[in-house]
Amino acid sequence: MRNKRGLFAVPYVIWMALIVVVPIIIMLVYSLTVEVETSSGTVLEASFENYTGMTLYAGVFGRSFWLALIATAMCLLVGYPVAYLMSREGPGFQRVAMALIMLPMWMNFLLRTYSWMSILENNGLLNQLFQKIGVIYLYNKITGSDIEYFQLIRTPGAVVLGMVYNYLPFMILPIYTVLCKLDSRLIEAAQDLGANSANVFRRVILPLSVSGIVSGVTMVFVPSVSTFAISRLLGGGTQMMLGDLIENQFLGGAYNPHLGAAISMVMMVIVVVCMVVMNHFGDGEEEAMVL
Amino acid sequence: MKKNSIGGRSLIGLCFLFLYLPIFLLIIFSFNKGDSSAVWRGFSLKWYVELFHNRLVIEGLATTLLVSLLATAISTVAGTFAAIGIYNLTKKWRGPILVVNDLPMMNADIVTGVSLCLFFVAFFNGWHGIASWINAHQTLFTLPTRLHLGLSTLLIAHVCFDIPYVILNVAPRLRQMDSNLVEAAQDLGCTWMQAFVKVILPEIKPGIVSGALIAFTMSVDDFVISYFTAGSATQTLAMVIYGMTKKRVTPVVNAVSTLMFLAVLIVLIINNVRSAKMAKLAAKRASFEPVPESPRLRRFREWMATPRGKLARRVTAGVLCAAFVATTVFLTAFTTSRPVVNVCSWGEYIDEDLITEFEEQTGIRVNYQTAESNEALYSLLSNGGADYDVVVPSDYMISQLIEEDMLQPLDYSQIPNFSLISNRFKNLPYDPENKYTVPYTWGTVGIIYNSAMIEDEIDSWSCLYDDKYAGQVLLIGNSRDAFGIALKYLGYSMNTTDPDEIREAYDLVRDAYERGVFQGKVMDEVFQTMEGGNAAFATYYAGDYLSMLENNEDLRFVVPKEGSNWFVDAMCVLKDCPNYDNAMKWINFIASTDSNLRNMDYIWYASPNEEALELYPEWYEEQYGEPLDPEIYSIMAAPQEVLDRCEMYICLPKPTRALYNELWIKLGI
Repeated sequence: MRNKRGLFAVPYVIWMALIVVVPIIIMLVYSLTVEVETSSGTVLEASFENYTGMTLYAGVFGRSFWLALIATAMCLLVGYPVAYLMSREGPGFQRVAMALIMLPMWMNFLLRTYSWMSILENNGLLNQLFQKIGVIYLYNKITGSDIEYFQLIRTPGAVVLGMVYNYLPFMILPIYTVLCKLDSRLIEAAQDLGANSANVFRRVILPLSVSGIVSGVTMVFVPSVSTFAISRLLGGGTQMMLGDLIENQFLGGAYNPHLGAAISMVMMVIVVVCMVVMNHFGDGEEEAMVL
Repeated sequence: MKKNSIGGRSLIGLCFLFLYLPIFLLIIFSFNKGDSSAVWRGFSLKWYVELFHNRLVIEGLATTLLVSLLATAISTVAGTFAAIGIYNLTKKWRGPILVVNDLPMMNADIVTGVSLCLFFVAFFNGWHGIASWINAHQTLFTLPTRLHLGLSTLLIAHVCFDIPYVILNVAPRLRQMDSNLVEAAQDLGCTWMQAFVKVILPEIKPGIVSGALIAFTMSVDDFVISYFTAGSATQTLAMVIYGMTKKRVTPVVNAVSTLMFLAVLIVLIINNVRSAKMAKLAAKRASFEPVPESPRLRRFREWMATPRGKLARRVTAGVLCAAFVATTVFLTAFTTSRPVVNVCSWGEYIDEDLITEFEEQTGIRVNYQTAESNEALYSLLSNGGADYDVVVPSDYMISQLIEEDMLQPLDYSQIPNFSLISNRFKNLPYDPENKYTVPYTWGTVGIIYNSAMIEDEIDSWSCLYDDKYAGQVLLIGNSRDAFGIALKYLGYSMNTTDPDEIREAYDLVRDAYERGVFQGKVMDEVFQTMEGGNAAFATYYAGDYLSMLENNEDLRFVVPKEGSNWFVDAMCVLKDCPNYDNAMKWINFIASTDSNLRNMDYIWYASPNEEALELYPEWYEEQYGEPLDPEIYSIMAAPQEVLDRCEMYICLPKPTRALYNELWIKLGI
C-alpha cells in the first residue's frame, strides 16, 4: 500500500522536473558563462570567472546569513508563544486569529514597508512619541549626550525588524497548526506522572512541535536571506545584503545576469545545506509519519 | 484544557498590535488630502473617488485576485495530493524530492523569475518550430505559431512557487497522523478515497488551510516573478505599485488596500458569526438526537454510487473543465481581436485620461504597463520576455538599445506632431540622426534641501560631502548618479571612462560615507523622507522636487554651479513589434501639444514640445485661476544657461560599467 499511494507524487515530480529543475539548469548554465566582446559582437564563453570573483562578496554573504539568523530566532521567540497561546483559545477565536494574522500580509509589501519607514524615521511616530513622554530627555540626562532623536531607521536593527514583521506569520501558522493537533491527554498524562509545567513543555510539547518549527524556520529564514526591498528601504542601503546584490545584477545598474546567477547559485547551495541539516534534526523526532 | 490567563491574552494582543500598526497608518493615509505618505494635510475621500478612474489599479486588482485565487486553488489541491504521495515514498526518495520541492523557495525571487522567463521563451521558440511544421504538413487545422507570455504563464509561475508552501504546511500534519487510522478505515470497508475524505482530510485540514492561506499571501504579494512572466498585456496590482516607485506611489493604492482590508474583515465577521450560530445549533441538536439526513440528499448520494451516477460525475467534471478551457480561449480571443498597442512606461508618468481619450478616438486598446527602472526594462527585453510596441526609456538606455539592435526606426510620416518638438531635443547624442525616437519629457537633477534645517546658501555639490551636515545627507541610491555627481564635483565628465577619475570619485564618496555624512542611500523613498523633514539634503529630479514642494514648503531646489545631469526620456518602438502602425498613432497622439500640456501638469516634468512649453504658464493660469510662479517654471523647464552646464549620460562601455558595479558594492560592504 505504501508504494501505491506514492504514485500521487509522480505527477508532481514530473512538474518539478519541468518547472523547477529545468529553469535552475538554465541559471546554472548562465552562471558558468560570461559575455565576451569580440569583433563580431558579444558572444558567450564558458568560464568560472563568476565564481572565482565571489570572495569580494564574502562580507555580504556573512551579513545576510547573520541578519537572517537573528530575524529567524526572534520570529521563533515571538511566534512560538503566540502560536501556543492561540492554540489554547476557543475555536471561534482561533479561526479569526488565524485569518487576522495573515491579513496584513495581503496589503502590498511596499506599502507596509513605507509605513514602517514613517514610524521609524528620525522625525517619525516613534521618535515623536519618545519625545512626548520624555524618553529622549531622560536618555540625554543619563548619558549626558544631546540628541534630538534615536537613529532607528537605516540601521541593522531596522532591517531585522522588517524581516520579523514580514515573516512572523509564516512562523506562527505552521507551529500553530501542529500545536492544535497536539493530544491534550499527553499533557495530562505527563502532569499525572509528576512533571512540572517546565518539564511538560520541554519533554512533551516541544518535541511534538518540532515539525512545525522546522517548517516555520524554513519559511522565515529562506526569504530573509534573499530579501532586497527590506534592506534597501529600512536599511537605507547601508546594509547591503545578498538580495540587493543579486537584484542589482538583474534589475539594477550593474546589469550582469551571469554574475547574479552565480551568486544566487552559491546562496542556494548554502541554504540547501542549512535546510538539509535542519530537516535531519527534525526527522529524528518523528516515527509514525507514514500513512 | 486550561484557558489563557490575562498575561497570555495580552501577549497575543501585543503581537496583533505589532502586525497592525503599519496597516492602520496605511489606512489613515488613504484619507489624506495630499499625496504624501508622510505629511498629513487634512481629511479627504478624493483618493477613493480617483480609484474608480484609475484603470491600471482596477485592472491590476482584478488580475491579482483572479491569478491568486486560481493559483491558490490549484496549488492547494495539487500540493495536498503531492504531500500524501511524498509521504508514502520510501525515505530514500522522500529526502531528495523534498529538497527539490523547497528549491523555488530557497532561490532568490528574481532568479526564479528570470529563469522561468527564459524557460517559457525557450518553450515558445520550440513551439513555433513544431507548430509551423504541423501547419505546413496538413490543412485540417492551423495551430497558433506565435505564443506570448500572459495570464497562463503567470498562473503557471504562481502555482510553481505556491505548491512548496502548501506541501510544507501539510507535511507536518501528515507526520503527526496515526497511519493506523487509514488502515482501520479500510479494514472497516472504506475504499481509499473514502478513507481519504473521511479520515485523512479532517486530520490534515488545518495544515491545508494554513498552506492555502500562505499560498494566497505569496501570490498576492509577489512582484518580481510576476514581472518576468506576465508578458506585455497582463499586470498585477503589485506590478502596478512597483512601477510607481520610479516616482511616487499614489495614495490610490492605499485606498485599494483599505477597501480590500475592509472586505476581508467583513467576510470574516459574517463567517464567524454564522459558524458560531451553527456550532450552537449543532450543540443543541447533538444533545437530543443525531441530525437526520434529508431523504432527498440520501437518494442523491445513493444514486451517485451507481455506475450511472459515476458516469454523471465524470461527465460533469469533463463539462466543467471544457467550460473553463472555453472561457479562457474565448477571453484570449476576445482581448486579442481588438486592435491594441502595448505601451511600457514608468508609473505615474502619464495623465491617465489621455489613454482613455486615445482609445475613444481611435478604437485601439492601450495595454499600459509600467517598469521600475531602465535596467529592469532592459532585463525584461533582453530575456525576450516582453512584446511591447512602445517603450519610454531614458537617453543612455536608448543608445544601448540602438547599439544592440533592439529598436525599429520610426516612420516619421505617420507622426506629423514630431515637427512640434523643439529643435533642442532633436538629434541628441543618443540618437544622432533621430531615426528611432520622439522625446517624451526632459529635466535636470539637482540638490533638494530643507531650508528650515539649513541656513546656508547652497549652490555646490560640496554640501553632500561636508562634515557639517553629518547624518543629514541622503545619497542617491544608484551607482551611476552617485558617482556621476562626485565626478562632476571633482570637475570631470560624468561620462568619463578613465578608471582613475572614477576611483577618485569613489574615494570622495567612500570618505564621506566613513565619516558618517550620509544617512543612507535612497531612491523613491526620498519623497517620504524629505517631505517629513527627516533629512536636510537629497539629490533627485526637478520634476519630483516640485511634487514634494506641495507637501513641504521649506524644500528648495538648486542645480549646482559645477553642473549636473540632464536627461531626456523618449518614446521608441521595439524591433518586430506586432502593432507598428498603432504604435505610430500612439506616439503621434502623445506628441501633440494638448497631450504634452496635460502631461506636464500631471507629472511636473518638462515637455519637449516647443508650443506646450511656451503655453504652459498661460494654460496653468486658465486651469487654476492663479499665475504660475516663474521660479517653479524655471525649475521645471531649466533655462538654456542651466542646461549648458549640465551633461547628458551616454551609455558607458562594459568595463566601465563593471568598475562602477565593483566600487558600488565595495561601498556597501
